[in-house]
Amino acid sequence: MTYVALAYGFIWVAVFVYVALVGRRVARINAEIEDLRQRVKPGA
Amino acid sequence: MLATMPSARRSSASFLAGIAATLVGFLLVPLLVANAPLEKTMGVVQKIFYFHVPCAWLLMLSTFVCAGGSLAYLFAGSERGDRLALCSAELGVLFGLCVMVTGPLWARAAWGVFWTWDVRLTSSLMLWLMLIAYRLARRYGGAGGRRLAAAMALFAAADVPLVYLSVNFWRGLHPNTKTVSSLAPGMRLPFFTSLLIFSALWGVLLALRMRVERAHSRLAELAIAVEDAEEESL
Repeated sequence: MTYVALAYGFIWVAVFVYVALVGRRVARINAEIEDLRQRVKPGA
Repeated sequence: MLATMPSARRSSASFLAGIAATLVGFLLVPLLVANAPLEKTMGVVQKIFYFHVPCAWLLMLSTFVCAGGSLAYLFAGSERGDRLALCSAELGVLFGLCVMVTGPLWARAAWGVFWTWDVRLTSSLMLWLMLIAYRLARRYGGAGGRRLAAAMALFAAADVPLVYLSVNFWRGLHPNTKTVSSLAPGMRLPFFTSLLIFSALWGVLLALRMRVERAHSRLAELAIAVEDAEEESL
């Protein structure tokens, strides 16, 4: 039973880590968008 | 513009509903697997089969989708195909990692060893390494990295039939391709439900990743346009 739980638990952790990494990429894109917005602001 | 807003909202709502349904399904899979009948020879550890096989199927599907996108990029210059290839290769690496972890756990209990250089195991490892190489070529390959990676994706796709059929050509420890078709009736429902839910999870992750990649491409185009505009104004 331990091996079965380990196998399924690992899949959960792997998917969670992947989603977290994608989330980090989204945060980076949002930061770049904000940076661009500041640059195109009138008077910037 | 205004007319498209409700449909965009509907599309986002259905996307979120799809994510929620997949997550609920992913939580329910262990319940189905727990109630599946015990296999006589291996006992409880055989239940890893319900997660290991869907992950292996998704590794192969990801490779084919990656190769399809790469073909579209190489021969038609499709940027969308290139993005699809990149995102599916990432998912191939993810589900390949799951195969490489769940398989040895099952092998340790069933065969007494975590790893043996059986043809199915070795060819699967090669396939997974090819997808990792694809990702590395994309990241560090420089100007020609995208084309090099696309060619590697076609090479990886050629390995998929070898992975699948190897167990029929070379006798090894790994079960052959008739295992799924010869499942006991009580095992079919949990297996195919698990396969369906894992595939849905793959679809949701691919859609999410494609959205991020599309946003990244648009952002890169915008950054270039802003830089050009800034240079002109100087």
